[in-house]
Parts: sequence; C-alpha cells; structure tokens
Amino acid sequence: MGVLEDKARARLFYKYLSKVYDTINPFIWNEEMRTEAIGMLDIERDDRVLDVGCGTGFATEGLLEVVDEVVGLDQSPHQLEKAYAKFGKHGDVRFHLGDAERLPFEDDAFDVVWSSGSIEYWPNPVETLREFRRVCKPGGQVLVVGPNYPKSSVFQKLADAIMLFYDEDEADRMFHDAGFEDVTHRLMGPSYDPDIAITTVARVPGDEDADVDATATSEVEADA
Amino acid sequence: MKESLMDVLCCPMDKSELELEVDERADDEEVLAGTLVCSECGERYPIEDGIPNLLPPDMRDDVPA
Repeated sequence: MGVLEDKARARLFYKYLSKVYDTINPFIWNEEMRTEAIGMLDIERDDRVLDVGCGTGFATEGLLEVVDEVVGLDQSPHQLEKAYAKFGKHGDVRFHLGDAERLPFEDDAFDVVWSSGSIEYWPNPVETLREFRRVCKPGGQVLVVGPNYPKSSVFQKLADAIMLFYDEDEADRMFHDAGFEDVTHRLMGPSYDPDIAITTVARVPGDEDADVDATATSEVEADA
Repeated sequence: MKESLMDVLCCPMDKSELELEVDERADDEEVLAGTLVCSECGERYPIEDGIPNLLPPDMRDDVPA
C-alpha cells in the first residue's frame, strides 16, 4: 500500500501540490498526450461527459474542445480553486466536490467517463472502475490515464512506496474485473520518455450495437 | 449548480434521490446556495457558491455542519 492510497494523505498532499501542479504537470502529461487520448473516444458535442479527479482542469480544458459541457468532480477544494480560475464557477464546467469511489451520480448518467491522473490515488481501483461503469451508459466509454509502471528499478521502488502504478496486463485485469469489454491500452509520453503514461479505454457492455463476447466479465454486477 | 443536473445527481452513500433546498439563486436555472438532502438517509450536502459538496461525510473534514 503506497503512502498516498489513503484519502486523507492524498488530500493533504494535493493541498500543497496544487500550488505547483500545472507547472510540473507538463512533464508527465502534456497537450499532445491529451489530444491523443481524446482521439481514442467516440465523442459528440452534446454528449454528457464526466471528468473524475478533474483537479486544476488540464484535461477538462481539452475535453471542452470537443464537447459543449463537462461535469467535473474532485475531492480537493484546493485543486478546484485553480480550475475555477480558468473556467469560472458556473460556466461550461459544472463542478462538484466528491469521491471517485462513491460517485454522487445516477446509474447510466453519462456517455463518457474520463479520469486522468487520479487512479494512482484510488485505494480500490477495481471498485472505483465498477462505480464508473455504473454511472456510464451501456455502450458508453470510460477512459483512464495513469502512470505506466517504470522500467528502472530505482523508480520502481519509489513507485511502489508512493502510489499505484500498473502496466497493460494489470490494467487489462482491473478493467475486466470491473465488468468492462473492448479494453484497449496505449502508452504515451513526451519524446524523452515515450511510455510514461498508460491510457486505457473500455466500453460498458449492454449496447445492442456492441459485440457481446465478454460473457464472463459482463456477468459481474456492481456492488448492491 | 444548474438545477437541471438534479436529474443525474444522487446520494454518494446509498444512491438515493436528493431533494433540493434553495437558499439563494442567481436565476431560474442556477442555484448559488442551498442544501441537497438525501430522501433515504437524510444526509445533508451543502451547495456553497454554486458548488455542490457531495463528498461523503467521512471526507468532509473542513466543512462546517
């Protein structure tokens, strides 16, 4: 268990990180990567899109280029202050304070659920992904960007101590356990570190147009 | 908070419907202050400056009751 997989610690960490976040952020997650990730989605302008862990609003900004309105959720008021400064409090981004693992949204409420740079702090990633599946419509897409497991052993030790890192096999397992199908991954990063991030897109089963080949996993129901 | 978003909001704890108590509006659609109350467990979630705070009670450490 990494030291940030505790929500109170994560909140304290973010209280201070928010001061420099957008300054250090481009080193791991930049506009090119954001554009590439958005390109993995079937998204229409009037789709209802949820950005879980929207933080200072870096991904939200990219999403607003392809949709009219984004629903943003974050657990940290300090991170959100930065986002308010960019988008206003009552504009095209509808902000909510909330917990990724216990979303305050109805079943099937969204066409797309997006989350970048948040999964590494979730105490129970599979449970949280199940919660994403619950609020996303059948046939809808969930996209998660997280840190790819580092190759160097020094960084592996750091990674294991601080937070959740995962590779493609692990992402595959988590998304299938959470009941998704059509799970695909892409490694991304700046030229000097081209596989620092892993982006996973998966579909919620149940749409009549989609393939019905995920029988084993589609029977896994969300917690009652 | 846009009142039309009430359609998709629910209690984060038991996923039951929320009822909106409005204290202040900007216009017909925009609620600036009020409370979202769970119709099942009775938990109260504040709306402050138009932002609904739907953090579960155990994560709402710095919010006045």
